[in-house]
Order: sequence, then structure tokens, then C-alpha cells
Amino acid sequence: MNARQTTPKISPRLIYITLLSALFAVAISDHLMSPALSNLGAPTELGNACAPCGAPCVDAKPKAD
Amino acid sequence: MAVFSSTTKKQNAARHRALWSFGGVDKPLLMLISCLGLILAGLAGLDTGLTGLALVGLGLLLGMAFMGFQYGFASGWRRFLESGDASALSLHFLLSALCALIFIPVSAAGLGPSGSLAPVSVSLFIGAFMFGTGMQLASGCGSGVLFSFGGGSGRMIVALPFFVFGSVLGSIILPPVLAWGSLGQVEIGGGLSGTGKLAVNLVLLLGAAVFFRWLSARRGFQINRALLVATLLIALLCWGVFWVSNHPWGVTFGFTLWGAKIVSAAGVPIEEFAFWTWPGPQRALTHSVFSDTSSLMNFAMIIGAGLTAALTGAFAKSAWPNTRQLQAAALGGMLMGIGARLSFGCNIGAFLAGTASGSLHGWIWFAIALAGSVLGIRLRAKFGF
Repeated sequence: MNARQTTPKISPRLIYITLLSALFAVAISDHLMSPALSNLGAPTELGNACAPCGAPCVDAKPKAD
Repeated sequence: MAVFSSTTKKQNAARHRALWSFGGVDKPLLMLISCLGLILAGLAGLDTGLTGLALVGLGLLLGMAFMGFQYGFASGWRRFLESGDASALSLHFLLSALCALIFIPVSAAGLGPSGSLAPVSVSLFIGAFMFGTGMQLASGCGSGVLFSFGGGSGRMIVALPFFVFGSVLGSIILPPVLAWGSLGQVEIGGGLSGTGKLAVNLVLLLGAAVFFRWLSARRGFQINRALLVATLLIALLCWGVFWVSNHPWGVTFGFTLWGAKIVSAAGVPIEEFAFWTWPGPQRALTHSVFSDTSSLMNFAMIIGAGLTAALTGAFAKSAWPNTRQLQAAALGGMLMGIGARLSFGCNIGAFLAGTASGSLHGWIWFAIALAGSVLGIRLRAKFGF
């Protein structure tokens, strides 16, 4: 089944190192350029969250002013 | 039956022997990954102190445990559907029962940490089915993609970016699909006291674990002891994450955040889409990627898996998949990304955290994702593997 395995010109190890380094470089840049929180947060903690991603309860009506 | 059992034992033994053999330490990679881990821990520690450091440590250990034991959901479910070996499913429900032992009483007592509840919605059904199909195509679920990527898997090097961008797409689709209908959150034993709720959920979870154990035994399959140890270890780590972060462990929101940050940097006004105007996602988008628990732990898990792979020389052992397998990984990653957002998580955030918190959505997620896996397995054949 794996007889026709692709043979990339650059090694998978090099691709991995490049991607891993790029991922962390982008993340560290984002961290240095963005405001950081003193407390780690999760989306479910704010608003009328009904799910871990922070989705609000759909049956909830907005409060009147 | 004996042949089944003997073959499985040999395969499992070979797999674990291969990973724990420490055949050749990859020193350059070990150095690189250690440096990245120290930077991550330093930055997290500077901003969020011991909480950040503890979560980096827990993520790292989870990455090591998953990579070292090759603790998979997708492969275990596939073995069940293909050969009737339900031993992995039995362990997954045992893991959930162990997590429930802490999640439910602590949530009920109002000590701070609270479980993971989500609505029983139309989107849950659609998303879980897509996720189940995708995880078979990619040969890994949310945690599987993460630790296998960390361990240098070529398939996951392709699947992860598609997962990330799929989940951004899912974040755009979720608000209108949520409006198609929802019963809201449904707690199993919701009207009972904390003890009653725990008892009902433990009966269900342990009942499922015993049922799948019985199914396995009927076909001559035995529980792998190494994976049993891994289950206990991962349960301990999940308790730690729950206690430190105040929430059950989740993987996929971190991916969604990474994708949103990337498309935002590319000039797409992602912050204007409904999902990103909700308070939680909005806060995550406007702050550092290390300020979100899921995102921070994902980075740490990659480091943990990478360290394990570097220590055991696993990079040298992994072959680059063929083109069709890479295409399947890309499609699988995309389906999982969209599916995870629509169904409120993956095997970790929706199935494990949901069932361990006594939320009905976790059980529905399991059943529908298992059905999606049937399609995924059929599609694997179309891709030639």
C-alpha cells in the first residue's frame, strides 16, 4: 500500500523543523505585539456563554436597556 | 478468537516497544524543542505566573503521555468498527468516568472549576458527524493531530493547517447553524443533588466501559495494560487541568484562535463575523495566543510530543505518506475543523469533557461521531488505504 510513497526533495524532518520554528515564531511575535492577560482565560467565562467556545444560549433574549 | 487476541497483543507490544525503545536520541531536535519549551514556559510564567507554568507543564506531560503511549481515539474507534475490538472504547469511557469523579462533585459544590456543558443542537449532530468522518480520513482526532504533529508525522503536518483553517470556517458557519434549532444544555441528572448526579453519570459511564469491555472479550480482544496505565495517567492530568484552569481540557478552540489570528493578519476582517463578536472569542482574538488556556496548552502539548519523539528517535522511524494519504489528511483536517466548531469540540472537548461533566451533548457527540467514522472508514478505501 505504501509502495508509492512520495519522496519530497527536502526531508520530512526539515519540513517539520521549519514548520515548528515558524509556528512558534509567529506565536511569540503575536504574544509580544498583543496585550496579555494576567489571568489565563477561556471563552466560556464571558457573556451568556452556553458552550466551551463561548457560543451564547440561543434562546436567551437580550436585556432591554 | 485466540488468533485475534494474540495478533492484537503482538501488534500493541510492537507499537509500544518501538516508541519506548530510546533507539537513538535526536539531539539537534531535542535542543530545538527544549529551547522552544523554555521560551513558552518563560513567557507564560511572566504573564500568568504559576497558573501559566502549571498549564504548560500539564500540556507537556499530556503530549508526552499521548505520544509515548500512542493514545488514540480515531484508531481505537476504527478497530472497533473494522474488527469488533472495542477495548479502546472501553478505556475511553473509563477515562471519562475517572474525570467525572472530580468534575461533577467539584462543579456541584461551587468550588470554582466547572464542567463543560453545551447545547443539544442541530449543529451538534452535523458537526459531530463531520468530525467522525474527518478523523478517520486524517487518522487522528483533535488531540491525535496535535501530538502526532508534535511527533513529526508527515500526515499531521498536512492535516493540522487544514484543521486550523477549517475551524475558522466553522466559526463563521456556527452562528447561523445554531439558529436552526437547539434544546439548550441538557444535564444528565440535572435535577439531582451533586452526589445523585455523580452516581447517575458514573453508572452510565462505567456501564458503557463494561459493555465495550464485554464486547471485546466476546471477540477475544484484551485490554492493553500499557493503555490502561495511560488512561489512569491522562485522567490524573485532566484533573490537574480542571483544577488549575477551572475548566475541563479542550483542544480545538486553540486551533480556531490560531486560524483567526492568521487570517486577520492577512487582512480578513474576522473580528466582524458574529462568532468573533461574542465576548469570549473576542477577548481571545484581541489578546496574546498564550492568554487562552486551550491555545497555550496546545503549544505545550506539541512540545511534549516533540520531546518524546526526539528522545525515542521516532522522527527517523516515520515515513512520509503517499500523495493520496496526504490528500485524505487535508480533507480530514478540514472536516474536523468545521465539525469541531459546529459540535463544540473534539473527542477531548466534546466527548470526554462533555460526558465527564454529565452533559447530554457529550453522549450524542460520541454516537454521531462514531456513525461519521463509518463513512470515514469507507472513504479511506477510496483514498487507497
